[in-house]
Amino acid sequence: MKLIEMKPGDKAQISSILKGGNFQRKMFEMGIMPGVQIELIARHPFRGPLLIKVGQSQVALGRGVAAALDVEAK
Amino acid sequence: MKIAVVGNPNVGKSSVLNTITGSQLFASNYVGTSLEIEKAQLSLESRSIEFFDSPGIYSLYSDTKESEITRNLLSHRDIDLMIQIVDATNLERNLVLSYELLDLDIPLLLIINQVDRLNEKGIQINAQELSSLLKCYVIPFSAATGEGKETFLSLMKNEAFSSLSKDEGGPKGKQIILEDGWICKGNCKACSLRVEPCLTDADYERAQKAKQTSGRVISIITAEPKPWLNKVEKFVDQPILGTILLLGIAYLGFIILLQFIGLSEGPLNALLEPVSLWIEQTLLAILPSGMIAVVLSKAVPEGLIIPFTIIMPAMIMVSLLMAMVEDTGLLPRYSVALERVGRFFGVSGQAIIPLSLGFGCRTPAVIATRLLPNDSQRFIITTILSIVIPCAATIGIMAMVIAEFHASLLVMVVSMLVVMVVLGLLLSRMMPQEEVFIYELPPLRVPQAKNVWNKVKIRFSGFFSEVLPLLLLMSIVIRALMESGLLEVFASLEHITRLLFGIQAEAFVAVLITIFQRYLAPLVLLNLPLTPREATIAITMIGLSLPCLPVMVMTVRELGMKSLLKILGMGFATSFTVGIILNIILPM
Repeated sequence: MKLIEMKPGDKAQISSILKGGNFQRKMFEMGIMPGVQIELIARHPFRGPLLIKVGQSQVALGRGVAAALDVEAK
Repeated sequence: MKIAVVGNPNVGKSSVLNTITGSQLFASNYVGTSLEIEKAQLSLESRSIEFFDSPGIYSLYSDTKESEITRNLLSHRDIDLMIQIVDATNLERNLVLSYELLDLDIPLLLIINQVDRLNEKGIQINAQELSSLLKCYVIPFSAATGEGKETFLSLMKNEAFSSLSKDEGGPKGKQIILEDGWICKGNCKACSLRVEPCLTDADYERAQKAKQTSGRVISIITAEPKPWLNKVEKFVDQPILGTILLLGIAYLGFIILLQFIGLSEGPLNALLEPVSLWIEQTLLAILPSGMIAVVLSKAVPEGLIIPFTIIMPAMIMVSLLMAMVEDTGLLPRYSVALERVGRFFGVSGQAIIPLSLGFGCRTPAVIATRLLPNDSQRFIITTILSIVIPCAATIGIMAMVIAEFHASLLVMVVSMLVVMVVLGLLLSRMMPQEEVFIYELPPLRVPQAKNVWNKVKIRFSGFFSEVLPLLLLMSIVIRALMESGLLEVFASLEHITRLLFGIQAEAFVAVLITIFQRYLAPLVLLNLPLTPREATIAITMIGLSLPCLPVMVMTVRELGMKSLLKILGMGFATSFTVGIILNIILPM
């Protein structure tokens, strides 16, 4: 499943990151890497950003970014 | 002794440093406030300690300007000690950076900030355990309550630390080479070209260690929640209602600003009127009669009164409102809420931060464009800042011209919006790019009076050091030009400016003066007999023209000479086009 398909309140685990290089590095620095638990907090309308909780922080991801993240539902 | 202060973005580095040294660094509740190394001094028992506050980074090995600045600081400045400021409420992620720092040959001290917020999170951190696991000093700290300050100061006085100085011992630190962090084996499918900073095994190991360590030192206690603030945060972070609330707050801010300027003008004028009269009479009395006396006796009071009655209230109110929005953590929420709008212009939602800073002063706003993910976005936003966004000083003086000549505020505002949309669309279509929007949202908090006060003070300091002297000087120059009759040389252009823009040559000169400082130009207008139509066209052309000198200097520093020349070209083109169009469409 893709992160972009999650609904607010859903919890999941990142399974893979579908883009390479710098993108993975940026995700890693925000604490987003395979195996990490996340929770979807909100979806902004009109294809706006998604708000997720990773560890103790809230991170906003654009749709393009979120589309590159695969998750496993929990 | 030289100390480098490092840490993740938004962990309170500047606040900790301000608490320790009593200095006034700029602390904000959003990611990426300090984009340069800030220095602070502390004298301790006749020893001088120099602190270098670095920009917030997630990793030393990132492909960002902030990381590059920090790498240079750590490898070139003979740093004796690194202090990492750690966010107590987000220990695991902060520890990833700690493990990177521990690999360098520089002593490390961990300051765990915001321990006052641990109770509401329902966790405790065992600092002693953490200290023995990392084999470095760890001090629990709170910039809000001052906890930990004494421990830090006494540690600095302690033998081991006081002997840390670049004069003793050999060279410290090692060159941080990027490749250290990016050992690419060339066999992963992530990238085929070795051009990007890849993730390495070392990165994963550090993340693993950080997880284990934070797991061992954190214990769960009963949470003491702060229900109302959490509720507010939940509400603000709702997609639709939150966005409406944020827009409502922004609207309220503008209303407060305009009301404040309107209400303060009367009393300030009444107060300064006698002062201005006194200056005029004194100058006339002490100067030998002649042109100099005429020029100075008119220009000096004018150059003093306008900044105090118009620009000062605007700068104070804008600084205060901006400080509140920043310190509460609301500003980054605007970037998320407005991400869709930004996308339309080909920029990320973060662009709202430099753009709104621009309403205060555009010089720091140009620096803040570093928050944007790439150079073409930075160019787009710097262009819009330079040409469209009016700074607090400009807003004040434009309001004055509009009131004086009954010019049309509506025409000006609509022209600005149209120009912004057109410029944004044109530029973003010319430089299409991939969307990468990742942004960390700090928790909402109650603004702290100390932070807000510091910020207002720092933002406002430019009034006395820059705005006031410049306006005074330019007011004298302009008055001298008018009295000497030099401006009449431009009178020969009259038929051209009349034909194209519908304004007289002198008003066109005012437009040209924006090259020096946009908010000076209206000084010329105020001395001309203008009809409302002429004033509207002239002030709109001035409002949509060139960046002021400080912004130009900053643009060259940040984006290079070529970018500045492009922006200047677009500025002239925009201003002239708008003038011609308004001349055609506005009724006589």
